[in-house]
Amino acid sequence: MEKQAGAADGAGPNRNPWGSPTNGSGAGDAGDSPTGSHVEWCKQLIAATISSQISGSVQPDFVNRDNKNLSALRYGAQVKMFQNQVPLLPGETINTTVKDVMYICPFSGLLNGTLTITDYKLYFTSVEKESHFVLDVNLGVISRLETISVPNQGENTKGLELVCKDMRSPRFAYKTDESQPDIVEVLNKHAFPLSHSLPLFAFLYKEQFPVDGWKVFDAAAEYRRQGLPNESWTISKINSTYELCDTYPSILVIPTNITDDDIKRVALFRAKHRIPVLSWIHPESQATIVRCSQPLVGPSDRRCKEDEHFLQIIMDANAQSHKLTIFDARQSSVAITNKAKDGGYESESFYSNVELNFLEIPNIHVMRESLRKMKDVVYPTIDEAHWHSAIDQTHWLEYIRLLLAGAAKIADKLESGKTSVVVHCSDGWDRTAQLTSLAMLMLDSYYRTLRGFQVLVEKEWISFGHKFSARVGHGDENHANSERSPLFIQFIDCVWQMSRQFPAAFEFNELFLITVLDHLYSCLFGTFLYNSEQERMAKEVQAKTVSLWSYINSQPEDFTNPFYVDYENHVLYPLVSSRHLELWTSYYARWNPRMRPQVPVHQTLKEMLILRAELQRRVEELQREASSHSLSSSSEHSPSPTHTTGTPLHTAV
Amino acid sequence: MEHIRTPKVEQVRLLDRFSSKSTNGTLYLTATHLIFVESSSNNSTSAGQEIWILHHHIASVEKLSLTTTGCPLVIQCRNFRMVQFVVQRERDCHDIYSSLLRLLRPVCYEELYAFSYNPKQNDQQREEGWQLIDLGAEFERMGVPCDQWQLTDVNRDYKVCETYPRDLYVPITASKPIIVGSSKFRSKGRFPVLTYFYQEKKAAVCRCSQPLSGFSARCLEDESLLQAISKANHNSRFVYVMDTRPKLNALANRAAGKGYENEDNYSNIRFQFVGIENIHVMRTSLQKLLEVIGTRPLSMSDYLVGLESSGWLRHIKAVVDAAIFLTKAVTVEGVSVLVHCSDGWDRTAQVCSLGSLLMDPYYRTIKGFMVLIEKDWISFGHKFADRCDQLDGDPKEVSPIFTQFLECVWQLTEQFPQAFEFSEWFLLQIHEHVHSCQYGNFLGNNQRQREELQLRERTHSLWAFLMSEKQNYLNPFYSPAYSEAHPVLEPSTLPYHFKFWRNMYHQFDRSMHPRQSILKTILTLRENSQKAESTLQALETRLQQLGVTPVATSDPPAAPPTRIQRSNSNTLPPRPDSLILGAPINHKEVQRHEEEDEQEEVGEEAMESTDTERTVEGSSGTDSRKQSYGELEGTYNSDVAKEEPAVVSLEFGVARMTC
Repeated sequence: MEKQAGAADGAGPNRNPWGSPTNGSGAGDAGDSPTGSHVEWCKQLIAATISSQISGSVQPDFVNRDNKNLSALRYGAQVKMFQNQVPLLPGETINTTVKDVMYICPFSGLLNGTLTITDYKLYFTSVEKESHFVLDVNLGVISRLETISVPNQGENTKGLELVCKDMRSPRFAYKTDESQPDIVEVLNKHAFPLSHSLPLFAFLYKEQFPVDGWKVFDAAAEYRRQGLPNESWTISKINSTYELCDTYPSILVIPTNITDDDIKRVALFRAKHRIPVLSWIHPESQATIVRCSQPLVGPSDRRCKEDEHFLQIIMDANAQSHKLTIFDARQSSVAITNKAKDGGYESESFYSNVELNFLEIPNIHVMRESLRKMKDVVYPTIDEAHWHSAIDQTHWLEYIRLLLAGAAKIADKLESGKTSVVVHCSDGWDRTAQLTSLAMLMLDSYYRTLRGFQVLVEKEWISFGHKFSARVGHGDENHANSERSPLFIQFIDCVWQMSRQFPAAFEFNELFLITVLDHLYSCLFGTFLYNSEQERMAKEVQAKTVSLWSYINSQPEDFTNPFYVDYENHVLYPLVSSRHLELWTSYYARWNPRMRPQVPVHQTLKEMLILRAELQRRVEELQREASSHSLSSSSEHSPSPTHTTGTPLHTAV
Repeated sequence: MEHIRTPKVEQVRLLDRFSSKSTNGTLYLTATHLIFVESSSNNSTSAGQEIWILHHHIASVEKLSLTTTGCPLVIQCRNFRMVQFVVQRERDCHDIYSSLLRLLRPVCYEELYAFSYNPKQNDQQREEGWQLIDLGAEFERMGVPCDQWQLTDVNRDYKVCETYPRDLYVPITASKPIIVGSSKFRSKGRFPVLTYFYQEKKAAVCRCSQPLSGFSARCLEDESLLQAISKANHNSRFVYVMDTRPKLNALANRAAGKGYENEDNYSNIRFQFVGIENIHVMRTSLQKLLEVIGTRPLSMSDYLVGLESSGWLRHIKAVVDAAIFLTKAVTVEGVSVLVHCSDGWDRTAQVCSLGSLLMDPYYRTIKGFMVLIEKDWISFGHKFADRCDQLDGDPKEVSPIFTQFLECVWQLTEQFPQAFEFSEWFLLQIHEHVHSCQYGNFLGNNQRQREELQLRERTHSLWAFLMSEKQNYLNPFYSPAYSEAHPVLEPSTLPYHFKFWRNMYHQFDRSMHPRQSILKTILTLRENSQKAESTLQALETRLQQLGVTPVATSDPPAAPPTRIQRSNSNTLPPRPDSLILGAPINHKEVQRHEEEDEQEEVGEEAMESTDTERTVEGSSGTDSRKQSYGELEGTYNSDVAKEEPAVVSLEFGVARMTC
């Protein structure tokens, strides 16, 4: 059986599974360089897959990656080629180059090569075995550096493992030599710049994009799109100096008839002063999604008349319903124990006509542990016999299911129940952001467009103070910090699950989601840096860094889903049954060289869409001509039948 | 019909499997079908939903004990439909129950539906249907007979092996005495014969049953037949002998005087165990899987653990692994392979056919796939009658071996969406009819029996029916260019590439279906493109009539789909009324069901219906839905579906009874 399994995946005696390291791990590992090369990497991965399928022994004609890189980089003119052809980004400088480093590939063994460390990335090249191997890891993705033992490689050889945040851990072995700088020291300094009083690379990056991504999100414009302000809701500047709440954005939407003094009292009653504010309003029923943090009820069941009044006003703002539903994302037991810590939840007996629901979602620590287990399952090797039970052990999909189910409940309450909802967890910046943004994604087709999704992330996550810096740990060496947690990844995973169930409802594709996650860590763009809008203002992020959306929106065609149809005014309820959720292997297990993405069917679709557009154009052309002629000649065959067949093209698909 | 006691029962409730909802209607029992017609009183717009269940599809009927609302009747079908009716009066329920018990267990072949089914064809058409697949021509396509392989007439009268077909291909050097001698040494007389010839490397795929070697027996004729197979391939000095069983099973067989080839006795063979479990393990495994997915509140954990412990996907992987081994040996090493299991009609059929599918793009076309099934399954005597329980037989002989093969193919279509001409729907349709006994193809256990039953004279061929509906089974992603570039498929066997086939096992559970289907989108897109093209042509013709030359020349834009469109210049036939491709959505009751399911999923109390203009994808029950669906479904549902009301009432193309 062993022997066949070997033969089955193509690992015959004289050829390795992917033909050569270049198209194997090379394509697989080389994906972290920014901008165009990321897209290119995905394309290469697909190309490598296809060529590996032609016939195992055929060496796929793999063009030197650097050359490819150049052509792939849209803004490649700025890329300077330095020693050993390390492609550099504008603003990137090389710190050290170390020769005779060994990359311990978990799939194809040891590879000897040259390691270059810049202030943005770690770049390993090997020219062994006539094939060009490249490993390109950006430093932002590194969670911690670990020394490992390397047996049988001589005494002065050290081993180094880079434990990464994106589900992989490349390992290196190198000789300690007086003449060469210590790799660990250099890496440590540049992978964790904030711990060494250095700037994040985003502040050094000098790329010029034709589109300015910082202009994507304008809070006022977004609220205007939602039809705000209106008679019940106003756009308030009360937090313009971040005095009321330092983790909230400067622009807030609050009920019209409430005084500033009341708001200040409500702020004192809510954890971190995160008062209830509007996130989204239903265009017809005027039911709203309101977000906040937990009330500071405490063990003695404190009350706050202003807070009770505030929720009453929120309820009254929606004439369709005389109820208000509060979704507390936490497990009810946790919410109760929080009372002892001066937190708590709204009592139904103090708040009239309020219904309280717990969504029973575990906290950030549980999620962190879950993803950590997931990494053990997918990297570096997969236990084939116990795949499903191993996935089960992580509980990851169970949490995904809880989130999607919770968001669906919220969406349903608004859509069918026409009832306003208040969503909170403890501080209102983790689970709350997940739930409100997912519910909005289900309810509002705008957020399912490429641009709209960016607005959604900017609004619900970035501006409302999801603590990206703390949760991701940008440039910070303290990897054991219990503040870290993959909440945003979980959200993107949920979006991916939805896009699987509604393949035609999202304008963006899987590559977009993966790209967003990759640059969540990379520190190349300023988008996800820091914890709050206030901090970002203080650091002048917009002025000094580039937005991820600049990059994305400069080449939108790469991130567009060819199946997309604008399902305007459609509410999407994903199925959350266990049969419909699956593990996002093309993200979590993508470093496995045996991971073969499917043949790109979207290419077929793109061609069909082009064909359709072409046909449509010609139909119109001929129609015009026909009508001009039929004007002169008598025409009982009016061109109307062509209209009926011509127009559905737009609406149907 | 004498077995039917009560032909019609009113006021029957149909319970939904995954929610607490139910539908009221009338149950009809006919000679061939059990039909449930939903009463249309509570819904004004459209006729009630109809469910037609062919008696042959019913695997089991169970009458549960009487409850306050009536007497529950649970019916499980071989196509994985599961329905529960509640009949008000116990006596009616018992009548139906006992009638069904009799009807679903025919005692002789003549009782099967195929012998009464008449699709209004004349004899000539039927004859042509049977001639559609010609295995002689298929071997010619492979390049056989050739200088090394010949057609032998040794089995012309089924004298040497009664479960083999008449026409067999053997090495040119194998004389009749050698063949006969070898057949005496092989279980059930199934001696090594050619099933696929890989012309490029002159390597052959041969199949047989296990040798009767016991602990030490030898057979010189058998040894020389294997030698002849080896000699027929100049590229290699040895043949692989693949025993698809786990070694333990093969060892156990030795005690019964059977067993496996001893490498010492055969010169130039390389022996290999593959380890696919036997039919009993497979049957139990699928049962476990169905139990798991049939549970209503299924937690993530129960699902994942249940999926794994059922072992079903592991078995699928084992079969695919074996096929990959076979493919590698033949296409890369150029070595001939002899495949066998115990009797050489279950695992051997799976591995040989799946291996051929990986090696030869022809088998990945609609016609080619029919040929493949005809060759490796039907003609070589996979015991369809026993495995699919066509007649009341031994339950121990029943096993989902062919279903498993179809699933293996489906898993491959998921990995290589461009490589197959047919879509999932084609596989489901074949599965449907393997069990329906509506066509003659799969009746009986072997060719000899089929000839005795005179199936070609008395029944119709499924292949002709499927071929006539070919348009419905096309995979829109299929690219012949891809097949040319990748004649040999190399699937990955990582565990996450083996997925639960929801559309097979939840085919009839509407609430389990995805909300949007790419296949549907593509089909709509293609229909639209075709309409645009025909409009284009019409306009051009008109212009010409008007005496103007069109500005643009009439050659179509160069894009791959044109190929498909060329082949069917007329409009597409009506899309089949499949749940997967989206049943007619103008059915209000069904929508309400979905909505309610959704609410259950969401876990909320009932909500009053809305009348806003916003539409709830996949779950709204309001009238505003009509409009939006019209858009979504394109022009198809509004136009074509209405023209064909008869089709709407039937599920999966099971044709309406004619008697």
